[in-house]
Amino acid sequence: MDYDAVVIGAGLGGLSCAADLARNGFRTLVVENTGQVGGCCSSYDHQGYRFDIGASIVELAWVIDTLFQKLGRKTADYIDFIPIDPIYGFVTADGRRFSYPVSVEETRQVIARFSEEDARSWERFAAVGSEAINFAFGKVMTESMGSLRDMARVAMANPKLAKYLKYMVLNFESVLCKFFKNDTVRASMSLQSYFIGLPPALCPGYVAFLAYSEHEGIYYPRGGMIAIPQGIASAFREFGGEIRFNSRAVKVLTEGKRVRGVELADGTQIEARIVVSNINAKTLYLELIGEEKLPAWAKRAIKSYRVSIPAPMIMLGLDARPDLDAHHTFCYATLEEMNRIWFEDYLSGRVPDGGFMLISWPTHADPSLAPEGHHCLNLVSFAPYRLAEGDWDSHKEKYLEMMLGLLERNFGLRLRDHIQVAKVNTPKDFERMLLHPEGAVYGLQNDITCAAAFRPGVRSRVFRGLYLTGASTHLGGGIAPTVGSGMVAADFILRDFG
Amino acid sequence: MERKLRRLLKAGALAGLVALYFSLDESTRRYLAHIGKQVPYLPYRYFI
Repeated sequence: MDYDAVVIGAGLGGLSCAADLARNGFRTLVVENTGQVGGCCSSYDHQGYRFDIGASIVELAWVIDTLFQKLGRKTADYIDFIPIDPIYGFVTADGRRFSYPVSVEETRQVIARFSEEDARSWERFAAVGSEAINFAFGKVMTESMGSLRDMARVAMANPKLAKYLKYMVLNFESVLCKFFKNDTVRASMSLQSYFIGLPPALCPGYVAFLAYSEHEGIYYPRGGMIAIPQGIASAFREFGGEIRFNSRAVKVLTEGKRVRGVELADGTQIEARIVVSNINAKTLYLELIGEEKLPAWAKRAIKSYRVSIPAPMIMLGLDARPDLDAHHTFCYATLEEMNRIWFEDYLSGRVPDGGFMLISWPTHADPSLAPEGHHCLNLVSFAPYRLAEGDWDSHKEKYLEMMLGLLERNFGLRLRDHIQVAKVNTPKDFERMLLHPEGAVYGLQNDITCAAAFRPGVRSRVFRGLYLTGASTHLGGGIAPTVGSGMVAADFILRDFG
Repeated sequence: MERKLRRLLKAGALAGLVALYFSLDESTRRYLAHIGKQVPYLPYRYFI
Protein backbone atom coordinates (compact mmCIF):
# COMPACT_ATOMS: atom_id res chain seq x y z
CA MET A 1 0.00 0.00 0.00
CA ASP A 2 1.25 3.49 -0.87
CA TYR A 3 -0.62 5.11 2.01
CA ASP A 4 -2.88 4.02 4.86
CA ALA A 5 -5.44 6.63 3.86
CA VAL A 6 -6.06 8.77 0.81
CA VAL A 7 -8.41 11.74 1.14
CA ILE A 8 -10.20 13.10 -1.94
CA GLY A 9 -10.52 16.85 -1.57
CA ALA A 10 -8.83 19.37 0.73
CA GLY A 11 -12.03 20.93 2.05
CA LEU A 12 -12.58 21.38 5.78
CA GLY A 13 -14.03 17.90 6.30
CA GLY A 14 -11.24 16.13 4.42
CA LEU A 15 -8.46 18.12 6.09
CA SER A 16 -9.92 17.71 9.59
CA CYS A 17 -10.11 13.96 9.11
CA ALA A 18 -6.65 13.81 7.51
CA ALA A 19 -5.03 15.79 10.34
CA ASP A 20 -6.58 13.54 12.98
CA LEU A 21 -5.44 10.42 11.11
CA ALA A 22 -1.91 11.74 10.58
CA ARG A 23 -1.65 12.59 14.27
CA ASN A 24 -2.55 9.00 15.01
CA GLY A 25 0.24 7.68 12.84
CA PHE A 26 -1.68 6.93 9.62
CA ARG A 27 0.32 7.64 6.44
CA THR A 28 -2.17 10.03 4.88
CA LEU A 29 -2.30 11.72 1.48
CA VAL A 30 -4.80 14.40 0.46
CA VAL A 31 -5.40 14.79 -3.29
CA GLU A 32 -6.90 18.12 -4.26
CA ASN A 33 -8.28 19.09 -7.65
CA THR A 34 -7.43 22.80 -7.34
CA GLY A 35 -4.18 24.53 -6.39
CA GLN A 36 -5.26 25.45 -2.87
CA VAL A 37 -6.97 24.18 0.25
CA GLY A 38 -10.46 24.88 1.58
CA GLY A 39 -13.04 24.06 -1.08
CA CYS A 40 -16.01 26.25 -0.21
CA CYS A 41 -14.16 27.79 2.75
CA SER A 42 -11.39 29.41 0.82
CA SER A 43 -10.20 32.68 -0.73
CA TYR A 44 -8.32 33.70 -3.82
CA ASP A 45 -6.26 36.72 -4.85
CA HIS A 46 -7.40 38.79 -7.81
CA GLN A 47 -5.86 42.11 -8.88
CA GLY A 48 -4.68 43.02 -5.39
CA TYR A 49 -7.89 41.98 -3.61
CA ARG A 50 -8.46 38.78 -1.66
CA PHE A 51 -11.96 37.44 -2.14
CA ASP A 52 -13.65 34.66 -0.20
CA ILE A 53 -15.08 31.91 -2.37
CA GLY A 54 -17.97 30.69 -0.25
CA ALA A 55 -18.18 30.78 3.55
CA SER A 56 -17.94 34.29 4.97
CA ILE A 57 -18.04 33.90 8.74
CA VAL A 58 -17.47 31.38 11.53
CA GLU A 59 -19.96 30.56 14.22
CA LEU A 60 -19.84 27.70 16.73
CA ALA A 61 -16.07 28.24 16.68
CA TRP A 62 -15.73 25.79 19.59
CA VAL A 63 -15.92 22.97 17.03
CA ILE A 64 -12.63 24.19 15.51
CA ASP A 65 -11.17 24.46 19.02
CA THR A 66 -12.24 20.88 19.68
CA LEU A 67 -10.44 19.73 16.52
CA PHE A 68 -7.20 21.46 17.51
CA GLN A 69 -7.49 20.05 21.04
CA LYS A 70 -7.79 16.58 19.50
CA LEU A 71 -4.65 17.34 17.55
CA GLY A 72 -2.87 18.42 20.74
CA ARG A 73 -2.61 21.96 19.42
CA LYS A 74 -4.06 25.40 20.19
CA THR A 75 -6.29 27.09 17.60
CA ALA A 76 -4.70 30.48 18.31
CA ASP A 77 -1.30 29.18 17.16
CA TYR A 78 -2.77 28.50 13.70
CA ILE A 79 -5.73 30.83 13.15
CA ASP A 80 -6.25 34.40 14.31
CA PHE A 81 -9.98 34.87 14.77
CA ILE A 82 -11.28 38.44 14.78
CA PRO A 83 -14.54 38.86 16.73
CA ILE A 84 -17.31 40.43 14.64
CA ASP A 85 -19.77 42.93 16.11
CA PRO A 86 -22.45 43.82 15.07
CA ILE A 87 -23.62 40.55 13.60
CA TYR A 88 -25.78 42.01 10.84
CA GLY A 89 -26.65 45.35 9.42
CA PHE A 90 -30.09 45.41 7.80
CA VAL A 91 -31.32 47.49 4.91
CA THR A 92 -35.02 47.35 4.22
CA ALA A 93 -36.79 47.98 0.95
CA ASP A 94 -38.05 51.32 2.32
CA GLY A 95 -34.50 52.43 3.13
CA ARG A 96 -34.58 51.88 6.90
CA ARG A 97 -31.37 50.65 8.52
CA PHE A 98 -30.66 48.93 11.79
CA SER A 99 -28.24 46.35 13.11
CA TYR A 100 -28.13 43.51 15.62
CA PRO A 101 -25.15 43.63 17.99
CA VAL A 102 -23.68 40.45 19.50
CA SER A 103 -25.11 41.42 22.90
CA VAL A 104 -28.48 39.73 23.44
CA GLU A 105 -29.64 42.64 25.60
CA GLU A 106 -28.65 45.29 23.07
CA THR A 107 -30.41 43.29 20.34
CA ARG A 108 -33.51 43.25 22.56
CA GLN A 109 -33.38 47.04 22.64
CA VAL A 110 -33.20 47.18 18.83
CA ILE A 111 -36.16 44.80 18.51
CA ALA A 112 -38.11 46.87 21.06
CA ARG A 113 -38.07 49.76 18.56
CA PHE A 114 -40.32 47.62 16.33
CA SER A 115 -42.33 45.75 18.92
CA GLU A 116 -42.22 45.59 22.72
CA GLU A 117 -43.98 42.24 22.59
CA ASP A 118 -41.35 40.82 20.24
CA ALA A 119 -38.57 42.23 22.42
CA ARG A 120 -39.95 40.11 25.27
CA SER A 121 -40.21 37.15 22.90
CA TRP A 122 -36.58 37.69 21.89
CA GLU A 123 -35.55 37.08 25.51
CA ARG A 124 -37.49 33.81 25.47
CA PHE A 125 -36.14 32.91 22.02
CA ALA A 126 -32.57 33.59 23.19
CA ALA A 127 -33.05 31.47 26.31
CA VAL A 128 -34.47 28.55 24.29
CA GLY A 129 -31.79 29.05 21.62
CA SER A 130 -28.98 29.11 24.18
CA GLU A 131 -30.13 25.86 25.74
CA ALA A 132 -30.81 24.26 22.35
CA ILE A 133 -27.39 25.20 21.00
CA ASN A 134 -25.32 24.58 24.12
CA PHE A 135 -27.01 21.54 25.59
CA ALA A 136 -28.79 19.89 22.70
CA PHE A 137 -28.12 20.48 19.00
CA GLY A 138 -24.63 21.91 19.45
CA LYS A 139 -23.42 18.69 21.06
CA VAL A 140 -24.18 16.62 18.00
CA MET A 141 -21.66 18.45 15.80
CA THR A 142 -18.74 16.23 16.69
CA GLU A 143 -20.59 12.96 17.32
CA SER A 144 -21.82 10.39 14.87
CA MET A 145 -25.53 10.69 14.08
CA GLY A 146 -25.41 8.09 11.33
CA SER A 147 -27.79 5.50 12.76
CA LEU A 148 -30.90 5.42 14.89
CA ARG A 149 -28.74 3.87 17.61
CA ASP A 150 -26.34 6.84 17.38
CA MET A 151 -29.26 9.24 17.51
CA ALA A 152 -30.70 7.46 20.55
CA ARG A 153 -27.27 7.42 22.24
CA VAL A 154 -26.76 11.14 21.65
CA ALA A 155 -30.30 11.86 22.84
CA MET A 156 -29.73 9.84 26.02
CA ALA A 157 -26.49 11.70 26.67
CA ASN A 158 -28.19 15.05 25.99
CA PRO A 159 -31.60 14.63 27.65
CA LYS A 160 -32.55 18.18 26.70
CA LEU A 161 -32.50 17.18 23.03
CA ALA A 162 -35.89 15.50 23.44
CA LYS A 163 -37.36 18.80 24.60
CA TYR A 164 -36.43 20.34 21.27
CA LEU A 165 -37.66 17.58 18.99
CA LYS A 166 -40.78 19.63 18.25
CA TYR A 167 -38.54 22.08 16.41
CA MET A 168 -37.61 19.28 14.03
CA VAL A 169 -41.27 18.66 13.25
CA LEU A 170 -42.22 22.32 12.82
CA ASN A 171 -40.82 24.30 9.91
CA PHE A 172 -38.58 27.35 10.18
CA GLU A 173 -41.38 29.74 9.32
CA SER A 174 -43.69 28.35 12.01
CA VAL A 175 -40.99 28.63 14.67
CA LEU A 176 -40.26 32.25 13.77
CA CYS A 177 -43.97 33.09 13.66
CA LYS A 178 -44.52 31.31 16.98
CA PHE A 179 -42.02 33.61 18.68
CA PHE A 180 -42.37 36.87 16.75
CA LYS A 181 -45.36 38.83 15.47
CA ASN A 182 -43.77 41.89 13.86
CA ASP A 183 -43.05 41.50 10.12
CA THR A 184 -39.75 43.40 10.32
CA VAL A 185 -38.49 41.25 13.18
CA ARG A 186 -39.58 38.05 11.44
CA ALA A 187 -37.95 39.12 8.19
CA SER A 188 -34.71 40.07 9.95
CA MET A 189 -34.32 36.46 11.08
CA SER A 190 -35.49 34.83 7.86
CA LEU A 191 -32.14 34.58 6.08
CA GLN A 192 -30.86 31.68 8.17
CA SER A 193 -33.11 29.21 6.32
CA TYR A 194 -31.15 29.91 3.15
CA PHE A 195 -27.93 29.29 5.10
CA ILE A 196 -28.82 25.62 4.69
CA GLY A 197 -30.24 26.21 1.22
CA LEU A 198 -34.01 26.10 1.85
CA PRO A 199 -36.84 28.63 1.98
CA PRO A 200 -38.48 29.30 5.38
CA ALA A 201 -41.45 27.06 4.45
CA LEU A 202 -39.33 23.94 3.82
CA CYS A 203 -36.53 24.47 6.30
CA PRO A 204 -36.56 22.49 9.58
CA GLY A 205 -37.60 24.59 12.58
CA TYR A 206 -34.44 24.08 14.63
CA VAL A 207 -32.47 26.09 12.05
CA ALA A 208 -34.35 29.19 13.27
CA PHE A 209 -32.12 29.15 16.36
CA LEU A 210 -29.12 30.00 14.20
CA ALA A 211 -30.46 33.53 14.58
CA TYR A 212 -29.59 33.17 18.25
CA SER A 213 -26.41 31.09 17.92
CA GLU A 214 -24.68 33.97 16.15
CA HIS A 215 -25.05 35.92 19.41
CA GLU A 216 -22.73 33.40 21.07
CA GLY A 217 -20.03 35.03 18.97
CA ILE A 218 -19.07 35.13 15.30
CA TYR A 219 -15.57 35.46 13.93
CA TYR A 220 -13.61 36.20 10.81
CA PRO A 221 -10.16 34.66 10.36
CA ARG A 222 -7.37 37.17 9.68
CA GLY A 223 -6.11 36.64 6.14
CA GLY A 224 -9.47 35.55 4.73
CA MET A 225 -11.56 32.40 5.10
CA ILE A 226 -8.73 30.35 3.61
CA ALA A 227 -6.83 30.89 6.88
CA ILE A 228 -8.99 28.18 8.51
CA PRO A 229 -8.14 25.31 6.12
CA GLN A 230 -4.55 26.60 5.92
CA GLY A 231 -4.31 26.33 9.72
CA ILE A 232 -5.62 22.76 9.71
CA ALA A 233 -3.36 21.89 6.75
CA SER A 234 -0.32 23.23 8.65
CA ALA A 235 -1.09 20.96 11.58
CA PHE A 236 -1.64 18.05 9.16
CA ARG A 237 1.77 18.60 7.57
CA GLU A 238 3.45 18.79 11.00
CA PHE A 239 2.20 15.25 11.58
CA GLY A 240 3.80 14.13 8.31
CA GLY A 241 0.71 14.43 6.13
CA GLU A 242 1.06 15.17 2.43
CA ILE A 243 -1.15 17.25 0.11
CA ARG A 244 -0.95 16.84 -3.66
CA PHE A 245 -2.48 19.83 -5.46
CA ASN A 246 -3.87 19.93 -9.01
CA SER A 247 -4.56 16.22 -8.69
CA ARG A 248 -8.07 15.23 -9.57
CA ALA A 249 -9.30 11.84 -8.41
CA VAL A 250 -11.42 10.32 -11.17
CA LYS A 251 -12.02 6.86 -9.77
CA VAL A 252 -12.27 5.10 -6.43
CA LEU A 253 -10.66 1.69 -6.87
CA THR A 254 -12.65 -1.16 -5.41
CA GLU A 255 -12.23 -4.88 -4.97
CA GLY A 256 -15.48 -6.61 -4.19
CA LYS A 257 -17.05 -4.67 -1.36
CA ARG A 258 -13.93 -2.88 -0.16
CA VAL A 259 -11.95 0.08 -1.47
CA ARG A 260 -8.30 -0.18 -2.39
CA GLY A 261 -7.33 3.38 -3.41
CA VAL A 262 -7.96 6.05 -6.02
CA GLU A 263 -7.01 6.76 -9.60
CA LEU A 264 -6.04 10.29 -10.63
CA ALA A 265 -6.87 12.01 -13.92
CA ASP A 266 -3.31 11.44 -15.16
CA GLY A 267 -3.75 7.69 -14.71
CA THR A 268 -1.73 7.41 -11.47
CA GLN A 269 -3.15 4.80 -9.13
CA ILE A 270 -2.67 5.34 -5.40
CA GLU A 271 -3.19 2.25 -3.26
CA ALA A 272 -4.68 2.76 0.23
CA ARG A 273 -6.83 0.65 2.51
CA ILE A 274 -8.86 3.70 3.54
CA VAL A 275 -10.45 6.23 1.18
CA VAL A 276 -11.99 9.38 2.66
CA SER A 277 -14.22 11.38 0.35
CA ASN A 278 -14.63 15.12 0.77
CA ILE A 279 -16.63 15.53 -2.43
CA ASN A 280 -20.35 15.47 -3.07
CA ALA A 281 -21.76 12.05 -2.17
CA LYS A 282 -23.68 11.78 -5.47
CA THR A 283 -20.47 12.39 -7.45
CA LEU A 284 -18.64 9.87 -5.27
CA TYR A 285 -21.10 7.01 -5.59
CA LEU A 286 -22.42 7.58 -9.11
CA GLU A 287 -19.24 8.75 -10.89
CA LEU A 288 -16.07 7.91 -8.98
CA ILE A 289 -17.31 4.48 -7.93
CA GLY A 290 -19.86 3.99 -10.69
CA GLU A 291 -23.49 3.02 -10.36
CA GLU A 292 -22.81 -0.39 -11.92
CA LYS A 293 -20.93 -1.29 -8.74
CA LEU A 294 -23.76 -0.26 -6.43
CA PRO A 295 -26.47 -2.59 -5.21
CA ALA A 296 -29.96 -1.61 -6.41
CA TRP A 297 -31.01 -0.20 -3.02
CA ALA A 298 -27.89 2.00 -2.79
CA LYS A 299 -28.45 3.29 -6.32
CA ARG A 300 -32.02 4.16 -5.42
CA ALA A 301 -30.91 5.84 -2.19
CA ILE A 302 -28.21 8.06 -3.67
CA LYS A 303 -30.33 9.00 -6.68
CA SER A 304 -33.18 10.04 -4.39
CA TYR A 305 -31.24 13.00 -3.02
CA ARG A 306 -31.55 16.37 -4.70
CA VAL A 307 -28.52 18.62 -4.64
CA SER A 308 -28.84 21.88 -2.74
CA ILE A 309 -29.65 25.28 -4.19
CA PRO A 310 -26.65 27.11 -5.70
CA ALA A 311 -25.52 30.52 -4.47
CA PRO A 312 -24.09 32.70 -7.24
CA MET A 313 -21.62 35.20 -5.87
CA ILE A 314 -20.45 38.60 -7.08
CA MET A 315 -17.05 39.76 -5.87
CA LEU A 316 -16.37 43.48 -5.97
CA GLY A 317 -13.15 45.38 -5.33
CA LEU A 318 -14.00 49.00 -4.43
CA ASP A 319 -11.77 52.07 -4.26
CA ALA A 320 -13.77 53.52 -1.35
CA ARG A 321 -15.39 52.44 1.90
CA PRO A 322 -18.88 51.11 1.19
CA ASP A 323 -21.85 52.75 2.87
CA LEU A 324 -22.54 49.76 5.13
CA ASP A 325 -22.70 49.19 8.86
CA ALA A 326 -21.48 45.65 9.50
CA HIS A 327 -19.47 42.67 8.24
CA HIS A 328 -22.73 41.18 6.98
CA THR A 329 -25.54 43.27 5.58
CA PHE A 330 -28.85 41.63 4.87
CA CYS A 331 -30.88 43.45 2.23
CA TYR A 332 -33.98 41.69 3.22
CA ALA A 333 -37.37 40.55 2.13
CA THR A 334 -40.43 39.38 4.01
CA LEU A 335 -40.92 35.70 4.85
CA GLU A 336 -43.53 35.49 2.09
CA GLU A 337 -41.09 36.92 -0.44
CA MET A 338 -38.37 34.50 0.69
CA ASN A 339 -40.79 31.64 0.01
CA ARG A 340 -42.00 33.14 -3.27
CA ILE A 341 -38.42 33.28 -4.54
CA TRP A 342 -38.17 29.51 -4.09
CA PHE A 343 -41.61 28.39 -5.25
CA GLU A 344 -42.02 30.81 -8.16
CA ASP A 345 -38.54 31.81 -9.31
CA TYR A 346 -36.18 28.99 -8.33
CA LEU A 347 -38.47 26.13 -9.31
CA SER A 348 -39.27 27.84 -12.64
CA GLY A 349 -35.63 28.43 -13.55
CA ARG A 350 -35.85 32.21 -13.18
CA VAL A 351 -33.15 34.39 -11.62
CA PRO A 352 -34.96 36.43 -8.95
CA ASP A 353 -34.82 40.12 -9.84
CA GLY A 354 -36.26 41.12 -6.50
CA GLY A 355 -35.95 39.66 -3.08
CA PHE A 356 -32.92 39.59 -0.89
CA MET A 357 -29.18 39.66 -0.84
CA LEU A 358 -26.45 39.08 1.69
CA ILE A 359 -23.49 41.43 1.43
CA SER A 360 -20.30 40.29 3.06
CA TRP A 361 -17.66 42.94 3.77
CA PRO A 362 -14.49 41.11 4.86
CA THR A 363 -12.26 44.22 4.80
CA HIS A 364 -14.45 45.63 7.59
CA ALA A 365 -12.75 43.07 9.86
CA ASP A 366 -9.43 42.69 8.07
CA PRO A 367 -8.36 45.71 5.96
CA SER A 368 -5.23 43.85 4.79
CA LEU A 369 -7.35 41.94 2.24
CA ALA A 370 -7.37 44.94 -0.13
CA PRO A 371 -4.97 47.77 -1.05
CA GLU A 372 -5.02 50.64 1.45
CA GLY A 373 -8.30 52.55 1.33
CA HIS A 374 -9.89 49.86 -0.86
CA HIS A 375 -12.46 47.27 0.12
CA CYS A 376 -13.77 43.84 -0.88
CA LEU A 377 -17.44 42.96 -1.00
CA ASN A 378 -19.19 39.68 -1.76
CA LEU A 379 -22.81 39.83 -2.89
CA VAL A 380 -24.55 36.52 -2.30
CA SER A 381 -27.96 35.52 -3.51
CA PHE A 382 -29.63 32.30 -4.59
CA ALA A 383 -30.67 31.26 -8.07
CA PRO A 384 -31.39 28.11 -10.08
CA TYR A 385 -28.68 26.11 -11.86
CA ARG A 386 -30.81 25.52 -14.95
CA LEU A 387 -32.18 28.72 -16.38
CA ALA A 388 -35.46 28.78 -18.26
CA GLU A 389 -33.85 31.16 -20.77
CA GLY A 390 -30.18 31.07 -21.76
CA ASP A 391 -27.36 29.74 -19.65
CA TRP A 392 -25.14 31.09 -16.91
CA ASP A 393 -22.07 31.66 -19.08
CA SER A 394 -23.97 34.10 -21.28
CA HIS A 395 -25.90 35.48 -18.31
CA LYS A 396 -22.93 36.72 -16.21
CA GLU A 397 -22.93 40.38 -17.24
CA LYS A 398 -26.69 40.57 -17.09
CA TYR A 399 -26.65 39.03 -13.62
CA LEU A 400 -24.09 41.56 -12.38
CA GLU A 401 -26.18 44.44 -13.76
CA MET A 402 -29.35 42.94 -12.32
CA MET A 403 -27.91 42.60 -8.81
CA LEU A 404 -26.30 46.06 -8.79
CA GLY A 405 -29.60 47.45 -10.06
CA LEU A 406 -31.48 45.60 -7.31
CA LEU A 407 -29.25 47.16 -4.65
CA GLU A 408 -29.73 50.65 -6.10
CA ARG A 409 -33.43 50.41 -6.84
CA ASN A 410 -34.67 48.47 -3.84
CA PHE A 411 -32.17 49.28 -1.12
CA GLY A 412 -30.62 52.63 -2.05
CA LEU A 413 -27.08 51.23 -2.13
CA ARG A 414 -25.05 52.60 -5.03
CA LEU A 415 -21.77 50.76 -5.49
CA ARG A 416 -21.00 50.99 -9.19
CA ASP A 417 -19.15 54.35 -9.06
CA HIS A 418 -16.39 52.76 -6.99
CA ILE A 419 -16.03 49.34 -8.60
CA GLN A 420 -12.45 48.59 -9.62
CA VAL A 421 -12.84 44.84 -9.99
CA ALA A 422 -16.00 42.81 -10.54
CA LYS A 423 -16.13 39.06 -10.84
CA VAL A 424 -19.17 36.82 -10.97
CA ASN A 425 -19.02 33.20 -9.85
CA THR A 426 -22.10 31.51 -11.25
CA PRO A 427 -23.38 28.04 -10.32
CA LYS A 428 -21.58 26.80 -13.45
CA ASP A 429 -18.33 28.30 -12.17
CA PHE A 430 -18.80 26.60 -8.79
CA GLU A 431 -19.36 23.34 -10.64
CA ARG A 432 -16.19 23.79 -12.70
CA MET A 433 -13.98 25.14 -9.89
CA LEU A 434 -15.05 23.01 -6.97
CA LEU A 435 -16.73 20.10 -8.80
CA HIS A 436 -20.01 20.70 -6.96
CA PRO A 437 -22.72 19.12 -9.13
CA GLU A 438 -25.07 21.90 -10.28
CA GLY A 439 -23.04 24.37 -8.23
CA ALA A 440 -24.60 23.04 -5.04
CA VAL A 441 -22.65 24.73 -2.26
CA TYR A 442 -24.45 22.86 0.53
CA GLY A 443 -23.98 19.43 -1.02
CA LEU A 444 -27.34 17.74 -0.82
CA GLN A 445 -30.72 19.14 0.16
CA ASN A 446 -30.91 19.73 3.89
CA ASP A 447 -34.43 19.00 5.08
CA ILE A 448 -35.06 16.51 7.91
CA THR A 449 -35.54 13.62 5.47
CA CYS A 450 -31.90 14.07 4.45
CA ALA A 451 -30.45 14.81 7.87
CA ALA A 452 -28.38 12.81 10.35
CA ALA A 453 -29.14 9.08 9.89
CA PHE A 454 -30.88 9.77 6.57
CA ARG A 455 -27.93 11.59 5.00
CA PRO A 456 -25.25 9.45 3.33
CA GLY A 457 -23.34 7.83 6.21
CA VAL A 458 -19.93 9.04 7.32
CA ARG A 459 -18.94 5.36 7.33
CA SER A 460 -20.15 3.92 4.05
CA ARG A 461 -22.45 0.95 4.39
CA VAL A 462 -21.77 -0.03 0.78
CA PHE A 463 -17.95 -0.31 0.75
CA ARG A 464 -15.62 -1.21 3.60
CA GLY A 465 -12.83 1.31 4.05
CA LEU A 466 -14.84 4.17 2.51
CA TYR A 467 -15.66 7.22 4.65
CA LEU A 468 -17.47 10.43 3.77
CA THR A 469 -16.89 13.94 5.05
CA GLY A 470 -18.16 17.39 4.08
CA ALA A 471 -21.52 18.95 3.31
CA SER A 472 -23.22 15.87 1.88
CA THR A 473 -22.84 13.75 4.99
CA HIS A 474 -23.28 14.08 8.78
CA LEU A 475 -25.17 17.33 9.52
CA GLY A 476 -24.77 19.09 6.17
CA GLY A 477 -22.98 22.24 5.07
CA GLY A 478 -21.33 24.97 7.10
CA ILE A 479 -17.97 25.25 8.80
CA ALA A 480 -18.85 23.60 12.12
CA PRO A 481 -20.73 20.61 10.62
CA THR A 482 -18.05 19.90 8.00
CA VAL A 483 -15.18 20.11 10.50
CA GLY A 484 -17.33 17.88 12.73
CA SER A 485 -17.81 15.40 9.88
CA GLY A 486 -14.02 15.07 9.57
CA MET A 487 -13.66 14.35 13.28
CA VAL A 488 -16.48 11.78 13.19
CA ALA A 489 -14.90 10.05 10.16
CA ALA A 490 -11.51 9.92 11.89
CA ASP A 491 -13.14 8.42 15.01
CA PHE A 492 -14.72 5.68 12.88
CA ILE A 493 -11.43 4.96 11.10
CA LEU A 494 -9.49 4.77 14.37
CA ARG A 495 -12.11 2.36 15.68
CA ASP A 496 -12.10 0.26 12.49
CA PHE A 497 -8.38 0.29 11.67
CA GLY A 498 -6.59 1.77 14.70
CA MET B 1 -68.97 -6.69 14.91
CA GLU B 2 -65.43 -6.26 16.20
CA ARG B 3 -64.14 -6.06 12.61
CA LYS B 4 -66.70 -3.39 11.77
CA LEU B 5 -65.69 -1.41 14.84
CA ARG B 6 -62.04 -1.64 13.87
CA ARG B 7 -62.85 -0.38 10.37
CA LEU B 8 -64.85 2.49 11.80
CA LEU B 9 -61.97 3.43 14.10
CA LYS B 10 -59.52 3.38 11.18
CA ALA B 11 -61.83 5.52 9.05
CA GLY B 12 -62.28 7.91 11.98
CA ALA B 13 -58.53 8.18 12.52
CA LEU B 14 -57.98 8.81 8.81
CA ALA B 15 -60.71 11.45 8.74
CA GLY B 16 -59.16 13.03 11.84
CA LEU B 17 -55.75 13.20 10.20
CA VAL B 18 -57.22 14.73 7.05
CA ALA B 19 -59.14 17.28 9.13
CA LEU B 20 -56.00 18.04 11.15
CA TYR B 21 -54.00 18.51 7.95
CA PHE B 22 -56.52 20.97 6.53
CA SER B 23 -56.73 22.85 9.84
CA LEU B 24 -53.00 23.66 9.61
CA ASP B 25 -51.78 26.89 8.09
CA GLU B 26 -50.62 26.86 4.49
CA SER B 27 -46.94 26.96 5.39
CA THR B 28 -47.10 23.90 7.64
CA ARG B 29 -49.21 22.03 5.05
CA ARG B 30 -46.61 22.77 2.38
CA TYR B 31 -43.86 21.59 4.73
CA LEU B 32 -45.63 18.34 5.58
CA ALA B 33 -46.44 17.69 1.91
CA HIS B 34 -42.77 18.20 1.05
CA ILE B 35 -41.64 15.86 3.82
CA GLY B 36 -44.34 13.34 2.88
CA LYS B 37 -43.00 13.05 -0.66
CA GLN B 38 -39.57 12.11 0.69
CA VAL B 39 -40.79 9.48 3.15
CA PRO B 40 -40.73 6.54 0.68
CA TYR B 41 -36.98 7.06 0.24
CA LEU B 42 -36.13 6.99 3.94
CA PRO B 43 -35.58 3.21 4.21
CA TYR B 44 -33.05 3.41 1.36
CA ARG B 45 -31.39 6.55 2.65
CA TYR B 46 -30.95 5.07 6.08
CA PHE B 47 -28.71 2.32 4.75
CA ILE B 48 -26.34 4.26 2.52
